[in-house]
Amino acid sequence: MRLGAGLVLLGPYILLLALFFTAPLALMLAISVSRQSFGQMEWTVTFHHYARFLSDGFYLGVLWDTLVLGVIVTAIALLLGYPLAYHLARTRSRWKPLLIVCILSPLLVGIVIRCYGWMILLADRGLINATLVERGWIAKPLPLMYNTFGVAIALVHVFLPFMILSLTGVLKRIDPALLEASQTLGASRVRTFVEVTLPLSLPGILAGSLLTFSLAISSFVVPILLGGFKVQVLPMIVYEQVLSVFDWPFGAANAFVLLVISVALIAVYIKVTERALRGIV
Amino acid sequence: MILGTVVALVYAFLLVPMVIVVLAAFNAGNYFTFPPQGFSLKWFANFFQRREFMQALWLSTELAFWTAVASTLIGTAAAVALVRGRFRGRDLLNAFVTSPLLLPQILTGVALLQFYTLFKMQATYSALLIGHVVVTTPYVIRTVTATLTHFDIALEEAAQNLGAHPVRAFFEVTLGVIKPGVVAGAIFAFAISFDNFTLSLFLTSARLTPLPIELFAYLKYSFDPTAAAVSAFAIGVALVLVVGIARFMGLEEFTGF
Repeated sequence: MRLGAGLVLLGPYILLLALFFTAPLALMLAISVSRQSFGQMEWTVTFHHYARFLSDGFYLGVLWDTLVLGVIVTAIALLLGYPLAYHLARTRSRWKPLLIVCILSPLLVGIVIRCYGWMILLADRGLINATLVERGWIAKPLPLMYNTFGVAIALVHVFLPFMILSLTGVLKRIDPALLEASQTLGASRVRTFVEVTLPLSLPGILAGSLLTFSLAISSFVVPILLGGFKVQVLPMIVYEQVLSVFDWPFGAANAFVLLVISVALIAVYIKVTERALRGIV
Repeated sequence: MILGTVVALVYAFLLVPMVIVVLAAFNAGNYFTFPPQGFSLKWFANFFQRREFMQALWLSTELAFWTAVASTLIGTAAAVALVRGRFRGRDLLNAFVTSPLLLPQILTGVALLQFYTLFKMQATYSALLIGHVVVTTPYVIRTVTATLTHFDIALEEAAQNLGAHPVRAFFEVTLGVIKPGVVAGAIFAFAISFDNFTLSLFLTSARLTPLPIELFAYLKYSFDPTAAAVSAFAIGVALVLVVGIARFMGLEEFTGF
């Protein structure tokens, strides 16, 4: 393909990205080092907003809570996702397309709807609590929602498909002959799993975990709906600063802290997936 | 055996919120209890009678349609260039074109909100549409790329040797072969836009509210099952779209395994 043709084909998308993705992000960076007085931007270069973030115990606490939540969600998603991916990579069932639909369909159902489903289940007068109270098994509703527990469950649900897709891709590429060889040489199925399958699937584990973690720490719909503003995370601070407090520079600085963490994780993610795809494990 | 049970439980976990929402939508009571309190369509009736929901549904459908059209055109062209082009820095370019997919949408949302406000475009239909096209186009590029890499370039060259103009060879031969990927990409773009919440939240106003935003606003003040009816409707739309993707491209191809 000639360069001219390539430019014509790629041009519209590059232009779109430059104007409505790269430029806005650059502007956000500029706003994060500017001042705002009486709603007017003063274009300066000051690190005041970053200093405020880094010196205030409240914001650092929120950042810490966000990262801890991300680790919890990633660990649970890995524990739940691995058996599923292992099964999916191996199965020859004719129901396989249906299984893939089960994994994909949550991705195509809006995040608000999925949260709402969990709210119907976990609320104080929700299905679980109402049933338990009615049967007389508990006296008052269990605290299933408006706390970290509820937020973590819904977050795991939202990002589990990403974990499963990352893991299945890698597990599927493991040569079955390796597993047969291991068993022929006398290793038990458990030992074969621990010493062959698990190490070979490490790139998938790493890629899936990075993706899940980076998505989990940047979610704010789930913490709002299932945390009821009792569970504070960094994206919620960004949202409040930008849309309620209208402190744009501070909101932008918060967003940039989140962006730096995400970009670092994504960079590692791209390296890991590239390597896994080339087969250099 | 143990693996089978665990796998079944995880599948149940994946589906449970959707199943619950659909059951609640057809349940007669104000609160969803088990066993259900009888079958009723009144929540759906309420959904279809409320003007704000109908306007939001129409806006979302129209927005998703134009988003799909725009991102399919732009994304297909870009995918062809990315697969066929042999130039330096292609890996870097690949990372750049998929970056809207990997960057958390809250960041894209905040950045676009500030950008649009500064250029007096905030809360306009075109601003919202452009935002949606930015986040959906990488998906189209991915699905089209998946089908393009299987495509045998010799077919297109054969057409050219037989006297077809390169452009005609592309439209009559290549496009015919990669059509499944293009259609699946378009359907996926429609679905992503129709359900998008995070980006839309930053780009909408009281007069410009897509369905997920309207549903979110409704949920903040009331907990009645009308929201379940809206959700069940959206789940139905998603199912139809998944079936569409399965028919045109095949799900194993679409997910890459």
